[in-house]
Amino acid sequence: MTGRSSKLNGLLFVLGLAVVWELTAQAQLINPLVVPPLSKILRIFWELSWSGQIPWQIIVSMKRAAVGYFLAAAVFIPLGIFMGLSPRIHRMLEVVVEMLRPVPPPVVIPVAMLLFGLEDEMKIFVIFFSCAWPILLNTIDGVRNLDWVLLNTAKTFGLSRRRIIRQVILPACSPQIVTGLRVSLPIMLILVVISEMVGSTDGIGYFILDSQRRFRVPQMYAGMLALAILGYTLNQIFNLLQRALLPWHGGMMRRREEG
Amino acid sequence: MNAPNKFNWPGWLVFGAILVFWEITSRGLPKLQLYIPPISQIFWALGQLLLSGTIAKHLSVSLARFLEGYLLAAAIAVALGIVLGYFRSLHSWLEMLIEFLRPMPSVAIIPVAVLILGIGDSMIVAVTVYASMWPVLVNTIEGVRHIESTLIDTARTFGLSRRRILWQIILPGASSYIVTGLRIGLSIALILVTTAEMVVGSKGLGFFILDEERSMNSANMYAGIVLVAVLGYALNRGFLTLEGKAMKWHHSMIAREAA
Repeated sequence: MTGRSSKLNGLLFVLGLAVVWELTAQAQLINPLVVPPLSKILRIFWELSWSGQIPWQIIVSMKRAAVGYFLAAAVFIPLGIFMGLSPRIHRMLEVVVEMLRPVPPPVVIPVAMLLFGLEDEMKIFVIFFSCAWPILLNTIDGVRNLDWVLLNTAKTFGLSRRRIIRQVILPACSPQIVTGLRVSLPIMLILVVISEMVGSTDGIGYFILDSQRRFRVPQMYAGMLALAILGYTLNQIFNLLQRALLPWHGGMMRRREEG
Repeated sequence: MNAPNKFNWPGWLVFGAILVFWEITSRGLPKLQLYIPPISQIFWALGQLLLSGTIAKHLSVSLARFLEGYLLAAAIAVALGIVLGYFRSLHSWLEMLIEFLRPMPSVAIIPVAVLILGIGDSMIVAVTVYASMWPVLVNTIEGVRHIESTLIDTARTFGLSRRRILWQIILPGASSYIVTGLRIGLSIALILVTTAEMVVGSKGLGFFILDEERSMNSANMYAGIVLVAVLGYALNRGFLTLEGKAMKWHHSMIAREAA
């Protein structure tokens, strides 16, 4: 199949690039202080992984990221549902949301530093703020595009508010909610790294910038490699969870298309 | 949304109430004022900064970096995306490299850029180009691939030149995808400019905000944030206006097809 051969091509290209990198660096065609040989970076990456330094920095970063991310989900999914259900609440909060949304997230870091110092709370607040908008807006969209027949049927059958939300609204909107969560995932990772670069003494973002400032260049690249692997892994975990938690969704969509 | 022409009274009332609450609490709690100054002070500071021209300098620096980086990224990514979307075999060679680089949070490139390019304008522009390229590139590839092959085949059968196929079929056909990529790239470019200015800058709005935080001029810091938010909002508005003008034919074409 073309699929397999194209994967092979891609792999060949990446490997070729790696060989070129290694050779030019070994031959000192580029400044080895700036671009060290790939083999050296991989060796350092391996050492730092085994010594536990990189895993520890990643755990520190991920703890902050997870708290901020889940906090944002816990606050803004319910808020999004209420804003989606009630046009009145939506109109009341719309201006505030539209005022806060255009603030580029990194600019919130100084505010967070002012309020929380350099502690974990500072990063958590920044991540909370920046993940809020995609989650909120997607949830609102999901609720607004709800099939009103579903809602009216549930009401006609006298379901309680709580059951309507849990058994009708949440499942019907979950694809949109998941979209919001997916969009926030890379934002979360970016903001952890930025907030650790600007104000921190640990975490993977700090590690990368600190290595650069101390001219430990292979360590810097090793940290970036770890970050790339982390980003990839988080995405894969998200996909797995989505398939495990929303298996009915795929089936339902198919049924709807057939019907 | 329901009545775009009607002034959103409840929304602005809530927003105003929050500002009044902010003003009163901050004035009532002198201890808090150091961190959250009254809103009137923030606007006073903003007015002073605007009048004295201090902030105009930072604003123009940031804006220039943003425009340079974003426009360059757009030009490179659209061109590359069209080539990679059109020539599938070429894409298969580069696919794995793209998939490998994309999950890494783009801000992690800042230390490398500092190492190679120093801490001047070119470094900030370079990281902006790198980061805002990805969404444009990926969306352009996707857009070109979604063009119906019959369209291209028909054009070829009629002996259209490559150039005419590019300008009259591929670009219009992929434009809605490209626009989506460009919109995502816009906010990413703004994130990268402010972040880079915070991490290594000596001018620009990102630097200004962080610097005012460090010298505990919190009113000036908030004033800077207000300005960045206005900038972000204005850029987004400008984009939407341009999009509306550029894509007018697109909407009318869809309407024609439907009729």
